[in-house]
Amino acid sequence: MLGPNGAGKTSTLEMLEGMNDIDGGSATINGLNVSQNSYEVKKIIGVQLQANEYFDRLNLIELLILFGKLYSQEIDPITLLEGVNLAEKANAKPEELSGGQKQRFSIACALVNNPKVLFLDEPTTGLDPQAKRNLWQLIRDLNSDGMTIVLTTHNMEEAEYLCDRIAIMDQGKIVAEDTPQNLILKYAPEPPQAALHGNIEDVFLVLTGHELRD
Amino acid sequence: MFTSAQLHLAKVFLKIFLRNRQSIFFSMLFPLIFTGVFFFSGGPSDPIKLGLVNMSQSAIASQFSDLVIAEPSFNVTKGSLIELREELIIGDQTAIILIPEDFTFIEGSSQLSLILDASQVRQASSIQETLENSLLAIERDVRGIKPMFNLVVEDVQARPQRYIDFLLPGILAYMLMNLCIAGSGFNIVEYRRRGILKRLFVTPIQPKDFIVAIILSRMVIVLTQISVMLGLAIMLLDINVVGGLPSLYGMVILGTFIFLCIGFFLGSLAKTQEAIQPIVALTSFPQLILSGVFFPISSMHEFIQPIAHVLPLSVVVSGLRSITNDGMALLTLNSTTVGVGIWMGISFFVAIKYFVWKEVAN
Repeated sequence: MLGPNGAGKTSTLEMLEGMNDIDGGSATINGLNVSQNSYEVKKIIGVQLQANEYFDRLNLIELLILFGKLYSQEIDPITLLEGVNLAEKANAKPEELSGGQKQRFSIACALVNNPKVLFLDEPTTGLDPQAKRNLWQLIRDLNSDGMTIVLTTHNMEEAEYLCDRIAIMDQGKIVAEDTPQNLILKYAPEPPQAALHGNIEDVFLVLTGHELRD
Repeated sequence: MFTSAQLHLAKVFLKIFLRNRQSIFFSMLFPLIFTGVFFFSGGPSDPIKLGLVNMSQSAIASQFSDLVIAEPSFNVTKGSLIELREELIIGDQTAIILIPEDFTFIEGSSQLSLILDASQVRQASSIQETLENSLLAIERDVRGIKPMFNLVVEDVQARPQRYIDFLLPGILAYMLMNLCIAGSGFNIVEYRRRGILKRLFVTPIQPKDFIVAIILSRMVIVLTQISVMLGLAIMLLDINVVGGLPSLYGMVILGTFIFLCIGFFLGSLAKTQEAIQPIVALTSFPQLILSGVFFPISSMHEFIQPIAHVLPLSVVVSGLRSITNDGMALLTLNSTTVGVGIWMGISFFVAIKYFVWKEVAN
């Protein structure tokens, strides 16, 4: 889900996650109507929020066990941490982690219930290129293991690199939705140049305008 | 009775508390200081320092001066007026009694002077009362008469009760209220502000699970604090729990439940950390005055009594007091226990119904 600030990406995500009331239309995840079964939906989804704060004085293992218990599941925290390349930080507190490690840990927390759908809200915002690439690889691996991933981003490169389908949002509405390739073919300016220079960022700017948001 | 998520969450909250050494230190220091204050202020007050200037040679003057010196509530220094006046000015004496030269037994003619420092006026009435009693005793002695009346103060409940016996259950309940509201109200606002609650409620847990977990963990902490305070009170202040400790602890548990739930409600009401403080002050201070912590509700203005009686702190104070002083059992059915039950229902309902886990716009 691509969109400028304030486009409604996070609100849409929170509606899908059963955390915000759906004020129009309906949402279905794995055959479950979200507004009627928000409790059941929460059991099959994993969520990584934009802000990731945890209880003080607990280390990564203890936090993962806690999240597991909230799904009434016994989990193996070390395996989860290995999956996000954080096993050596098992006894650290979240505040001792770097930005990239924090994001990877928040994904590990979102995976405790082995979700069918994983929601990631701007997962790479604020990360350096190395950490960003590392996280992309992790997201790709999860996806190739069969997990559906819904993510929001401002980062065109990220959308292009990770996504099978992109929905471009503006002012609370989806203004275009297709595969990255089709979007470029359809919207990128000057088709002869598009193959050389056009990219998803051009598409984004054509659809949402050039003026600065927020 | 409790789900594994609730129990685990409670264990986590307890772990977080136990890892915070500063909060453990201060939460245990509080009951210690509190009981200490009562222990050291509760004993007999220091004797009032009095200067005595006897300018008379008469037998009656020396008889009076002996009586004043023998009075246990006075610490008397004899000396000259100039000397003692200086001591009075610098605060070494509270007052000076001046027995004039012509102090003799001639009816209506003898006159004593009491020289006071205006700042010590608070003690003037007690000095005056003791002096008058001493004079009366001398007069009776000289006239050879016996006192006609005797005032015997008798307790209707036929057992000795001191002010501390009345005060302790009230203070216990007030302390309980503060500990609980701080433990739930302040925490929840902070957890919400940092987005921790939002992260928690992305998972399939309900407000009820979170509230039950905090109640369980806080219960352990509060009961430990209360036990320290109660233990000290029983040892140092000679407090006797007539109704037995199990009933007392039972009432403390019920009170903890009520106040934690009220704390959750206030925490949901307050959007920010700045707002929670005045909101808590607004709920706790009027209750401190109106709930019969320091003096009985029946001594208040009639207009306010019906309101005062139904406040949550009032029912808990009255419950604790009935147990410690009147020997009430916890399971007795009376207006106090019914009041406690009603407040448990109301507070739990509002805590869950109005629970806000999402950051709200200011």
